[in-house]
Amino acid sequence: MNVPTSFFGWVSFLLDRYGQLFLQGTGVTLLVALSGTVLGFVIGLLVAIVRTIPLPKGPWYRQLPLRVVYFLLNVYIEVFRGTPMIVQSMVIYYGSMMIGLIKRGTPVLPAAIFIVSINTGAYMAEIIRGGIISVDKGQKEAATAIGMTHWQAMTHVVLPQAVRNIMPSIGNEFVVNIKDSSVLNVISLSELYFTGKSAAGNYGRYFESFFIIACIYLVLTFTVTRILRLVERKMDGSKNYTIYGSQSDSHSSITISEEEA
Amino acid sequence: MDSILEIRHLEKSFGDHAVLRDISFSVKKGDVICIIGSSGSGKSTLLRCVNFLEEPTGGEILYHGKNAEKEWKRTLYNSKVGMVFQSFNLFGNHNVLENCVLGQMQVLKVKRVEAEERALTYLKRVGMDAYRAARPAQLSGGQKQRVAIARALCMEPEVLLFDEPTSALDPEMVGEVLYVMQDLASAGMTMLIVTHEMSFARDVASRVLFMDGGVIVEDAPPQQLFSHPEQPRTQEFLKRVLARQL
Ligand SMILES: Nc1ncnc2c1ncn2[C@@H]1O[C@H](COP(=O)(O)OP(=O)(O)O)[C@@H](O)[C@H]1O
Ligand SMILES: [Mg+2]
Repeated sequence: MNVPTSFFGWVSFLLDRYGQLFLQGTGVTLLVALSGTVLGFVIGLLVAIVRTIPLPKGPWYRQLPLRVVYFLLNVYIEVFRGTPMIVQSMVIYYGSMMIGLIKRGTPVLPAAIFIVSINTGAYMAEIIRGGIISVDKGQKEAATAIGMTHWQAMTHVVLPQAVRNIMPSIGNEFVVNIKDSSVLNVISLSELYFTGKSAAGNYGRYFESFFIIACIYLVLTFTVTRILRLVERKMDGSKNYTIYGSQSDSHSSITISEEEA
Repeated sequence: MDSILEIRHLEKSFGDHAVLRDISFSVKKGDVICIIGSSGSGKSTLLRCVNFLEEPTGGEILYHGKNAEKEWKRTLYNSKVGMVFQSFNLFGNHNVLENCVLGQMQVLKVKRVEAEERALTYLKRVGMDAYRAARPAQLSGGQKQRVAIARALCMEPEVLLFDEPTSALDPEMVGEVLYVMQDLASAGMTMLIVTHEMSFARDVASRVLFMDGGVIVEDAPPQQLFSHPEQPRTQEFLKRVLARQL
């Protein structure tokens, strides 16, 4: 076997030998980051909906259940935002093993997705809370005033606008998850960083190997950022609208298009 | 005739600050009651207590003789007592038609086809049916307020509350909104209107309430209240305001 002598020689050698492995690692990283972001978003939404339920009026014991729930949710948010994900991974993974929830040798992927989701959920809850505050509270009042419930007002009026306002932060969480899922190598998840480490170790070519890995991460995050920009555009909807009917002809219509801001 | 709403000894304080004190009056079908008074006198708080956007701290509100807080389901009561806000509060993520359809489908469980039909009827009534596809951000203040009125009407409420519906409007748009309200009044809609438009109150109201410092100082038909106010506080307020208007 010819041993490469140059930087680019090693890069193409490693790509040739480990291309398949890197591709699998990329797949795992994307899968964990995407499902972690989506599930974390759902967790964040639910937490935010619960945290915005107005306290019932009346004696303290009627407020107690909700206050307890608020408290527990705050604990959850503080704990997961206040400790590194790498530590959370160890605690959750080995903790569940100790209490027999998972066995040695079972696939680590579900645990990995759980860890990223629960961690992202804590950040999302705060981001979404910010999004809710950004929606003028008069709209919630108007929804209440026509008889909508808290749930209806949140899901049909407040949250769609809150989510639109926080799209950049949600995208940011996704990008962070693509990068930070690398810490899951401590529980031996074969994501991108882990595959890079394996490849590097076999030949002692750390620089070349991680140069490749860095490029892949960069392509991933760059692509994801562009796609999210497009999604935001889409959410803003058409800037055009149609005015129907006129005094003389009720079937006429004209379309008004606003200039792009 | 029986009252639709009966407000009895209503109180509201924010902490130690008593904003409403011993408010009592009743609203009968077809009444157009204008509430006037200087800023800070508790007019908005009163309306907001009537549909429980603020929880009253004392007294009770009867709706068809039954306690609105305890004997009526809140969402049903709210759908029957509509509200139009100073700042319109249209749903920013929905177009004009959808603003009028949403409540019907969610609260009244009306089918979409029927809801859209009803929405168009009321949008036509306020002269906004042509704009059914526009988003709130694309409308002028007067147009927004007319859509907000249509949205409230779509719930087929028994009483409509208006909190200074024209105060946030440019002067040239005040007329179009008052016109719609006048039209509703002559069609027999029961309304409770907080307003600074004294000529509107004089021409349209069946009764005028003057509020000051969280109490109703005077409650009389408009001719009487504007021409021969009994209370010194009312006289003083009218002298100040009418010098600027009418
Ligand atoms: N949410 C609130 N918290 C504390 N004070 C309030 C609140 N809403 C209104 N107030 C007070 O209640 C008083 C009456 O306010 P408001 O009902 O808005 O008067 P108006 O509509 O007649 O101008 C004011 O002194 C105001 O500061
Ligand atoms: Mg007010």
